[in-house]
Amino acid sequence: MKIIACIKYSLDVSEVKVDPATKELRLAGVPRRIGAIDKNVLETAIALKEAAGGTVHGLTLAPAAARESFREALAMGLDDLTIIDSADLAAEGPAVTAMILAEAIKKLGDVTVVVTGETSDDGVSYQVPPRLAERLGWPLLGFARNITVNDGVITADRDLDSGMQRVEGDLPLVLTVTQETNTPRRSTLMDAVKAKKKPVTIWQPAAELNLTAEALLARVGTKRTAQEGIVVRRKQQLFQGEDMANLANQLLDALVAERVLAE
Amino acid sequence: MSKLFVYSEEAAVLQELLGKARQAAGEQGFDQVVTAVFGLTAADNAAAWGEWGADVVHTVAEADLDTYHPESYTDALAGIIQQVEPDLVLVGATKRGLEVSGRVAERLGLGAVSWCIDFSFDQASKTVTAVCLIYTGMGQNSYHIDTHPALATVAPGTFQPEMAPGRTAEVIATTVAVNPRRLRVLENNEKAEAGRRLQDAPVIVDVGQGVRAREDLALAEELAQLLSGQVACTRPISSERDWFPEWLGLSGLKLSPDICFTLGVSGSIQHVIGIRDSKLIVAVNNDESAGIFSQADYGVQADLYQFVPALIAAIKARSIHKN
Repeated sequence: MKIIACIKYSLDVSEVKVDPATKELRLAGVPRRIGAIDKNVLETAIALKEAAGGTVHGLTLAPAAARESFREALAMGLDDLTIIDSADLAAEGPAVTAMILAEAIKKLGDVTVVVTGETSDDGVSYQVPPRLAERLGWPLLGFARNITVNDGVITADRDLDSGMQRVEGDLPLVLTVTQETNTPRRSTLMDAVKAKKKPVTIWQPAAELNLTAEALLARVGTKRTAQEGIVVRRKQQLFQGEDMANLANQLLDALVAERVLAE
Repeated sequence: MSKLFVYSEEAAVLQELLGKARQAAGEQGFDQVVTAVFGLTAADNAAAWGEWGADVVHTVAEADLDTYHPESYTDALAGIIQQVEPDLVLVGATKRGLEVSGRVAERLGLGAVSWCIDFSFDQASKTVTAVCLIYTGMGQNSYHIDTHPALATVAPGTFQPEMAPGRTAEVIATTVAVNPRRLRVLENNEKAEAGRRLQDAPVIVDVGQGVRAREDLALAEELAQLLSGQVACTRPISSERDWFPEWLGLSGLKLSPDICFTLGVSGSIQHVIGIRDSKLIVAVNNDESAGIFSQADYGVQADLYQFVPALIAAIKARSIHKN
């Protein structure tokens, strides 16, 4: 099997703050890193290689300068990594990202399974995996757990809100995982040392994938016209103390005064 | 003719989308609200969607659509959209809706936005501008959608259903091309307790990882019961411990009860977005620095295992009830 793990160099959204006066989102200085969900992607991809044999390759869209941020992904067990140097274009949204990934997967060639997160940590659009599957013309096995592979057939449970659906599909296909799919392995110091020697290839969308910026931007389909942060105003009254009965009565007094409870 | 097409395979979510669509038809000048129902029994009661706001209901009675299959439903939804030629497509952002709508958007070359919470339609240009949550709910962007139709996914619980008894819809039996499937469904299993309508509960007791063992849920259940409420939970409680089939948050349900009591919830934005439309939020956590306190009206810094029994005792002693 030739397995591709799609990972995202994501904004750490827990560090995004809102200016309460101007409602401006403070994005400057918010760090980027491999997303939490991408650890589950890497674990799935590497476990598939261990179970069925073959090779496992990382694929990401990021500035070339970010290559050191992928050391841990390589240490976890990727054989190599391809970075498509197109961070600005990735910011244009899921249709562009899916097209770039699809062309890269075709160029990598003979791919049997592509693993992605159900959605990214920061964009959270849920659009890239289905768009990617559609572009490749492959089945999408989404929200997978309990993944097994046997004789070119992948079987998995899909967690679909109110129900579970058990499916099987012939390779090649696109597989998406959730944070519940598995527990990502930790890499050792030795893994990190070995990771330094693993190949990292940088591709330019125009030169290597024949995708010009104009062609990609034509696919965006949406234009941002405004942005603001959401400011939540709550009373933030804190009750503290050792006497539990007293705390309970203080809270109930407040809720009765608010007229949401009655006595 | 301007058309607004809405779709969800979940009846409750379709009602919400139709509620908003009916309202938008009046305010923004859509001429027609259209929806579609799939499966062999699709025609049964299809006209009743008129009461929820549909003008036209397309029914597709295809055996391959009788139970949910991502590929068949993608074919059906794409086919219906091509026939209806709406200006805007709203799809309920359930997991099924997300995987199908993403694929439909790519197939039809549609600009698509996610987590839509409002939109406006420009009648002259027949284009849509949508307001969407971004960064797991920290902010919102407005997007002008350049394609026709425009597509937006809407989280369950975003809009309010509104029923008008006696209103009927025109039902049109439609055929669409459904391609041979490649994924094979081996089994479908409902989750236990699925279908509880937490949306209707006036009080929610929201449990997080501070609740250590499953039997401790009895505390939360008793508190909820005394106040005519329901117990809900954070994502790890549902997905890792499997105590409940669904969770509250960005990727789960969004509720707006009168009071939400959080017990042992740390307060990540991904979770808070599921409860932040509550009228009042009460947070119980033993960690003074827990983020949930800045999201709450009333915080109690205490061990929930000591505080909740005291709260239950005080509610009983004072005959406190939900008004």
